[in-house]
Amino acid sequence: MSFLTPFFLLASAAVALPIFVHLIQRERKRVIQFPSLMFVQRIPYQSVRRRRIRHWALLLMRCAALLMIVAAFARPFLRQQAIAAAAAGGSRELVVVLDHSASMGFGDHWQRARDAAHAAIRSLGANDRATLVLFSRNAEENMRATTDRARLDAAIDIAKVDADSTRYGPALKLAESILGRSQARRKEAVLISDFQRAGWTGSEDVHFGEGYTLTPVSVASPKSNNIAIPSVTFARASFSGQERVTVSAGIANKGSEPVSDVPVTLEVEGHQIQTQQAKIGANATASVSFTQFTVDRPIVKGTVRAGTDPLPADNVFHFTVSPAAPVSLLLLTNPDRSDSALYLSQALAISTTPIFRTEVVPVTRVTPANFEKRSVVIFNDVPFPSAGANGTLKKYVESGGGLLVAAGDRTTWPQGEADLLPGTLGPSVDRTARGATLGFRDYGHAVFEIFKAPRSGDFSAARIYRYRTLTTGPNDRVLARFDDGAVAAAERKVGLGRVIVLTSTLDDSYSDLPKKPIYLPLVHQLVKYLGQFEAPRSWMTVGQVVDVSALTKARANWLVVTPSGKRVTSAGPLELSEQGVYEIRPAGGGNEATAAPQALAVNIDPAESDLTPIDPAELVAAVTGKATQAAAVTLGPTETTEADVKDAEKRQALWWYLMLAGLLLLAVETVVSNRLSQGERFL
Amino acid sequence: MQHQADATTMPGAQFVDPKILARIGNLELLARTVVDGFINGLHRAPYFGASIDFAEHRGYVAGDDIRRVDWRLYARTDRFYVKQYEADTNTNFSLLLDLSKSMSFGSKGITKLTYASYLGACLAYLAQRQRDRVGGITFDSEIVNYVPPSAKHFNVLLHTLDRARAERRGELMRPLKDMSEHFKRRSILVLISDFYEDPDVILEAIKPLRFAGNDLIVFHVLDPAELDFSYTDASSFEDLESGDQIPVVPDSFRDEYRKLIRGHIDALTTKFSEHRIDYTMVNTSEPLDRSLFSYLSARERMMRVR
Repeated sequence: MSFLTPFFLLASAAVALPIFVHLIQRERKRVIQFPSLMFVQRIPYQSVRRRRIRHWALLLMRCAALLMIVAAFARPFLRQQAIAAAAAGGSRELVVVLDHSASMGFGDHWQRARDAAHAAIRSLGANDRATLVLFSRNAEENMRATTDRARLDAAIDIAKVDADSTRYGPALKLAESILGRSQARRKEAVLISDFQRAGWTGSEDVHFGEGYTLTPVSVASPKSNNIAIPSVTFARASFSGQERVTVSAGIANKGSEPVSDVPVTLEVEGHQIQTQQAKIGANATASVSFTQFTVDRPIVKGTVRAGTDPLPADNVFHFTVSPAAPVSLLLLTNPDRSDSALYLSQALAISTTPIFRTEVVPVTRVTPANFEKRSVVIFNDVPFPSAGANGTLKKYVESGGGLLVAAGDRTTWPQGEADLLPGTLGPSVDRTARGATLGFRDYGHAVFEIFKAPRSGDFSAARIYRYRTLTTGPNDRVLARFDDGAVAAAERKVGLGRVIVLTSTLDDSYSDLPKKPIYLPLVHQLVKYLGQFEAPRSWMTVGQVVDVSALTKARANWLVVTPSGKRVTSAGPLELSEQGVYEIRPAGGGNEATAAPQALAVNIDPAESDLTPIDPAELVAAVTGKATQAAAVTLGPTETTEADVKDAEKRQALWWYLMLAGLLLLAVETVVSNRLSQGERFL
Repeated sequence: MQHQADATTMPGAQFVDPKILARIGNLELLARTVVDGFINGLHRAPYFGASIDFAEHRGYVAGDDIRRVDWRLYARTDRFYVKQYEADTNTNFSLLLDLSKSMSFGSKGITKLTYASYLGACLAYLAQRQRDRVGGITFDSEIVNYVPPSAKHFNVLLHTLDRARAERRGELMRPLKDMSEHFKRRSILVLISDFYEDPDVILEAIKPLRFAGNDLIVFHVLDPAELDFSYTDASSFEDLESGDQIPVVPDSFRDEYRKLIRGHIDALTTKFSEHRIDYTMVNTSEPLDRSLFSYLSARERMMRVR
């Protein structure tokens, strides 16, 4: 605001007299102890007695009337910041960095953020240029540097809140590079966001150059109660040959007030299954379990909804459930020893993710048909089966099958099939005296990776008393060695499949490994790796990228229908940018037409639910190297005014209202003072 | 003492009010309550691999450092075994606590010294859990108590913190200079003070601590009344340390005072950040989690550098 005739304001000094007299009437009553008067001493001390004023309302009325009339004579008008910017001299490069992550959908945050962006655009002078950068997890230059304010305003108006998470690093880097390219004298960036703490790790390598200005505009609300569903878990059970799933949803209350009677609803395939009431403490989580339902189709889509709050995006959680696909195993054993499969079959029976379906067949009875549709074939101390000869076994492995050979004295391998084994098996070594231990494990390999951390698997307890020597080739990978350096396990990849040879058996004839705790996880890891098992994902997070062809296991074009109904044809990577369920269907004729349609549930990043703000000054200090470069602006929820969009003439009409209000106050004051003066001589 | 949560809830420790914590007399219990709860709320382990725990033996294989062979085991078994540890490094953690009289100020139930003791105890507990050697120094215008860093000194440090009284005038320059001679080995130093000095003087005083490559984390403890100056009645204000009295009309002083204290904090933020010192201003009305976060992130950085 400015004044056309500011010298009239001098008259307002008259008001200071009664106010001054009022303020100095004080009595020092008590002594307050304060840690240090270091700062108090720097403030000029003003003394200090004042007369008592009996009629506050009257005094205020008179002062206000006087000030209003003085202000009216000074002709106030609302001046656009652009004029000030022009007066400051030189062109300006402004980058408006606007956060449109999912959390900005909270209450009126987005509206306030857009208002702040419009206000920043309005501050542009005639020669100033501005760029609009929209960011969530990534940043994009939505509108390149331009002086056209109308286009910038239009770009802000059509911008929408997306479903992605917040990261300040990429946006600030982009702003820094835009400012770095500019030749303008003044380089400024305005960061408009809710300043979620989760978006700033502190390790982002963003540094603004000398002379750049970063102004944070926070739209964060001081009290942000929010209920979110960060994840769901599934408990599977089998009943009458059908699989049933019990869904448990975790509900988080991110607010500082406890909430009760929050309705939590489970919907399956669009049908409401059950609604429960949850009670959640302040800043706490609760768990709600629903009644079980039957998984009667390849993909069952479900949704959990919890309560209502200003951020509805995280009150919904989508998921998909598929029937558990068991991993089919063929375990070949020696007919001489009926108990040789005991430990392996017991270990494989104890697994739920995945379920291993094991068929134990004596090696003498195996037929080529036994290999069909098996994920993994295990030879436990058996001679090479005649059914696998003539390339049958090789064909099985090359087409993606897994082969685990636990070599013992009975193991034989024909020369013609030698290219299947990772090396050449040699004679047995007897270590009965002390027993060998596994001295080296390749923790970089998927089989041993889970044992990498300390106390995550004690291999030193197991003793191997006998093993076969194995001479590996240059292309074979040694996974483990005994303490004398001999190979304990090696791998070779053949076609799409994998072959692993263990130089000792997996029963208790050669070692006490099956009696050690490490046995169970080791066997599970071996079989999962060889069977190329990947746990099906029940949901993904916005921002992740999926390979459609890998997902559908068919190389062809697929029609992807996004949650908003958009149709995209894709055969390769697809970025999941929306919250909801993506449908992936065959695009037309051809092989893919026979493939089953897929569904992908996508949810927002759980970090978006945590609205705890970072201090904008902290972020500015980290980026600019200065503690407070520009005063942080916090927009109150009621701060949007329509007066900002009025033209210059209308802004100058303010003096009329002031004059009218001042005169009205004087009239009221006259009436009041007349009444009061009846009993008093002076007021 | 935390929220009355029902069976299905799991409250995080970051919401434990310092005033409620003040009811716990035992510092170790308090530190454990806050840190363990905080870690539960954090959903990640705060350990960064620093420990000297023996993990397991394994057979010697060609290429192993022969210095790691367990010769005693060799003598018994006639075989070579190598001892494996979870990690081999640990560090010194020293708490430097200001006991100047101004630290005894508290407008809302808890004094700055009490809050600083809680904070120090929590950080020491966290450090001790990570097998760091824990020690501390309390000082006002000179060093009051010195607990050398050791793996066994956690309880001694808590005892020292418990007994700490802020009774004399404070000064930073002399005691910090004396302290810098104590720290021969690279350490994590956590300095907790209310910093009533000129920012340049503070920085000059702190600089010697940085010379030995110490990682310095600074907590600036302030009471809400010092930040807001939320007094209403005109009164005489007495300086806790000097005893000087000044008549003050808070209404007319407040804005100027807030500007000055804000300027002081900003100056400290800038200067500390220029010298790569972690600075955190803590308000005694706020929970301890933010301070713990600062410490953890600094510790994590240090581990990464190694």
